Amino acid sequence: MINSSKIQDGLIMSLASPVGVSALAIIRCSGAACVETLAASFSRPKALNAAQGKQMVYGMLLDQTGLVLDEVLCAVFRQPASYTGEEMVEISAHGSPAGVEAICQHLLRIGFRQAQGGEFTLRAFINGKLDLSRAEAVNEVIAAQTRKAHALAMHRLGGAVERTINLHKKALTQLMAMVSIQLDYPEEEIEEIHLPLNIIQGERDALDALAQTYKSGKIYQQGVRIALAGRTNAGKSSLFNVLVREERAIVSDIHGTTRDWIEAPYSLDGIPIRLFDTAGLRQAREWVEQEGIRRSGMVIENAGLIIYVVDGCVGLDAEELDFLEQLKQKKQTAIVVWSKSDAAGWKAPEPARLFGHELVALSTQTLAGLNELLKSLTLNIGAELSSEDNEVLIDSQRQHLLLQQAVASLDQVMEAVEANLSMDLIALDLQNALQALGEITGEVSNEDVLDVVFGNFCVGK
Amino acid sequence: MDFDAIVVGGGHAGIEAAMALCKLGYSTMMITQNLDTIGKMSCNPAIGGMAKGNMVREIDALGGWMGKLIDATMIQFRILNRRKGPAVQSPRAQADKIKYQLYAKQVLEKEPRLRLFMDTVVDFIHEEVAPKDGIRSSKRITGVITERGHQICAKAVVLTTGTFLNGRIFVGEHSASSGRLGEPAALGLDQGLRKLGFSLGRMKTGTPARIHRDSIDFSRVEEQWGDSEVVPFSFDASPLRQEQVACYITYTNPSTHQIIKNNMHRSPLYSGKIEGIGPRYCPSIEDKVVKFPTRDRHQIFIEPEGADTKEMYLNGVSSSLPEDVQTSFIHTLAGLEEAVIMRPGYAVEYDFMDPSQLYPNLETKLLSGLFVAGQTNGTSGYEEAAAQGLVAGLNAGRYLAGEPAFLLTRAEAYIGVMIDDLVTLGTKEPYRMFTSRAEHRISLRHDSADLRLFERAREIGMHDDAAWKNFLQKKEGMLSIKDSLAQRRLSEADVAGKELKINVDEIFPKDKAYGKTFWQLLKSPLVDLETLRSLDPQCFGDFPLDWYRQVELDVKYEGYVVRQEQQIVRFNRMEHMRVPADFDYQGITGLSNEAREKFLKITPLSIGQAGRIPGVRNADLALLMVAVARRPGQEALDRSLSEDFLQASKTFEEVTIGSDDGDL
Repeated sequence: MINSSKIQDGLIMSLASPVGVSALAIIRCSGAACVETLAASFSRPKALNAAQGKQMVYGMLLDQTGLVLDEVLCAVFRQPASYTGEEMVEISAHGSPAGVEAICQHLLRIGFRQAQGGEFTLRAFINGKLDLSRAEAVNEVIAAQTRKAHALAMHRLGGAVERTINLHKKALTQLMAMVSIQLDYPEEEIEEIHLPLNIIQGERDALDALAQTYKSGKIYQQGVRIALAGRTNAGKSSLFNVLVREERAIVSDIHGTTRDWIEAPYSLDGIPIRLFDTAGLRQAREWVEQEGIRRSGMVIENAGLIIYVVDGCVGLDAEELDFLEQLKQKKQTAIVVWSKSDAAGWKAPEPARLFGHELVALSTQTLAGLNELLKSLTLNIGAELSSEDNEVLIDSQRQHLLLQQAVASLDQVMEAVEANLSMDLIALDLQNALQALGEITGEVSNEDVLDVVFGNFCVGK
Repeated sequence: MDFDAIVVGGGHAGIEAAMALCKLGYSTMMITQNLDTIGKMSCNPAIGGMAKGNMVREIDALGGWMGKLIDATMIQFRILNRRKGPAVQSPRAQADKIKYQLYAKQVLEKEPRLRLFMDTVVDFIHEEVAPKDGIRSSKRITGVITERGHQICAKAVVLTTGTFLNGRIFVGEHSASSGRLGEPAALGLDQGLRKLGFSLGRMKTGTPARIHRDSIDFSRVEEQWGDSEVVPFSFDASPLRQEQVACYITYTNPSTHQIIKNNMHRSPLYSGKIEGIGPRYCPSIEDKVVKFPTRDRHQIFIEPEGADTKEMYLNGVSSSLPEDVQTSFIHTLAGLEEAVIMRPGYAVEYDFMDPSQLYPNLETKLLSGLFVAGQTNGTSGYEEAAAQGLVAGLNAGRYLAGEPAFLLTRAEAYIGVMIDDLVTLGTKEPYRMFTSRAEHRISLRHDSADLRLFERAREIGMHDDAAWKNFLQKKEGMLSIKDSLAQRRLSEADVAGKELKINVDEIFPKDKAYGKTFWQLLKSPLVDLETLRSLDPQCFGDFPLDWYRQVELDVKYEGYVVRQEQQIVRFNRMEHMRVPADFDYQGITGLSNEAREKFLKITPLSIGQAGRIPGVRNADLALLMVAVARRPGQEALDRSLSEDFLQASKTFEEVTIGSDDGDL
């Protein structure tokens, strides 16, 4: 069963300082054995493990291959003398967004998970770390904020999502009623029934489709991540500037000008987009660039769509072919931009070498081909999104998980019906499905109380 | 003190309450209006049925008596729903009513700690308890006053008035003060209860006519026999003594319905004379005709009331129509054209106490030491009454000893579901146990009641050493059967040359079946444990048949059982977060007024229970959790508390239906 619970034991981490460029960034970690876990990625594991409460330990944070992520100071807090009352480490790192992102990614890899809003405070509360006056203050905040958040949630739910869920709930409740009769009366008094598989299947599919809209909902909320990739000097930064309509990226003829990824918000037909320019892919000569390329790799991996820029005067080399083929295998969508179409020496690509990725010839000088690229972007993003504007979209992870739970439960119901299992067994899963839906609309009380209650504290607090 | 405890009433609840108190070592007096009607089955001559049968077995596993009483006096036994799943199978037995009643009285008479006394309780004696820690003063019961002027003192009283409290019966235009046909109602005590501040309501129930056996044309009715194999209700399997008999089935028809419709105005139910709310699931024949106009027939069971009487019970035609109408519609039923009515059907209306005035140990919130059980709490059914009587008796004993309450959760027993429903939701109509009320029903099989509850009852002194030894033997025996299943693997030699019910090749491709453990094989729907045992009888020992059956169900439904158990773990988290009974709800900032009122009224004893109170919102519950956790002297909350925060809540509305003849 999927665990939708937000609060559980485990290691959590979160950036505690503001996002953006700053001198220092502080990443907060909490949970049993969090020192030990971090020590495995630390240049001085013994020193870190031996640290007493409220002691600072200097060292290097290393990734899994042993490469240095950053030079950091770890402030160790021992249970229960910490904010959360658990073992905690506050990592002071350098403040570059890219560097911080890399550290966070690494922490996720070694067993931490991203803390959710208010989770540190919640843990503090659970562990009795808030004194009486604080607790009362929290109480008031809860009282005020839950009402507000509840009202907000209701507002959102008052709309299409709630109506849709209630419709499905009604259908499932009717099925449950059929089952309950079978459960409550002996066979000699009632006729045996067979659950209508087609109805269950229909409900299952509809809920599944609703769950699928989460991707779209998330895109509307958070934006599509589009990454520009390609060899050095292919023209990525020029295209980046053209797309965001400002000189954001430094453009030069020097290979490897862009050493780390940069990001700019952008909007295409009302869809928010997060556009990333990345460091060009090549055999880097020095460490900084190597690192930049590695980080760019992560950005590309997480992108929803990739614009792969190829220098139209040079064409594709073996490494690039390999890269494009890998994208195809990973089912990542890429649009190949054959750049510098206005330049002398430009030669058209051989379609066979594009591994089915779409092609656009483009000049960032004359802007020839730009409309074509935009159209292609819109089409590709549109494919990620559901088409109609007024369609019901799920935009919270919780709703998504609960819908998935309901779908999984209905799958089990159908399996049980097909296997001719008895009603009491079928009822178990049907009940689970109903419960999941009930939790979405809040009619059935559940853990989302805590989402509401503590979700309004800022993350990392 | 004259006695440690007094039990008011000698019905199914009273019997269990009195016997439990005695078992726990307390001198007890049972005061009943009539010694000749102890353990009387006022309505249908049967014990058990869906969900109810499970409760009878739970009563037995907890050291109660109902299972033993029915085992000794049953004249027909059936497992209902054998073809359906394990959670909905339930034992049901036709009782010899007269033998049941006599045996119950004998059991009580033999109990040395119990005094039986015939009188009617009309009021309580109580005292004020000085306010403690400046909170509030409270009242404590000290005894009862009877109609004949006796003042009898006891520190604990269990009230089980059934349908007698202010009872009034109706047969057509005739109505009279009475708790059961021919028996006086208990008057006066309702005033005593109101004086103390209890709120009382009215409910009604009904019973059908009894006819003379010799007036039935048996050629025109269907015969129905019980199972050839009888599974005793009691885990302490007592030998069965009664000869098994048949029941009969007939049907109503359009002319039956027409007669009823024509005379509806003469029914006290429809003329407005009866104000009490009746059970939806066990409607009178008038109700059925009105509510299901499209049905052209309803099933009627003709059940013997006992081996030594010719009275036959007409299950399904409960009615309060005038006697002449009852006679004419009964005569329209096939086989009953000449039926001679010996007792008419009638309705009875009585006072009940809203059970939300009770804590889950069935003690009243207003008067310490007063426990209430059975129909007084708005339930219907012998089994529901007995289960509450047992819980009330047990807890009266715990109260006398100053020990914490003995509570069963919804995940442990149907009894836990029922009591939680009653005290948390209250009830407006007679409450009957249903399988669908139990969320964790897969874990609440009737055959596993002892494994669920025996140990808990043993801890508080409800089982003696001999019973405990038997239980441990069964537990070990089942483990050894399971061990054998897990270890023994199928080989070609097992099958070669044997004539089997199953075709191994059919179940598994040959190369795959061999080498599999018997446990794995048993999971196939085509394989049963009996067949596997026949392959290697020595391997599986020689145990009672029901042990093998129980193991078989455990293995076959392992996946579901495991999933149910996961749900129970989450459910228990919420149940285990206790809320003190005297918790100060006024001190919670931000609580909605509605929730505050409800918390004050219900006084939930756990966060789980608080979450089941209708109308309580998530935010209110969160505030309650915070406040409970932060109250002075409280340890840090269970760290995992927030996981599956309100798993415990009811998932869907209770599905209510009007089915044909529900009281089976």
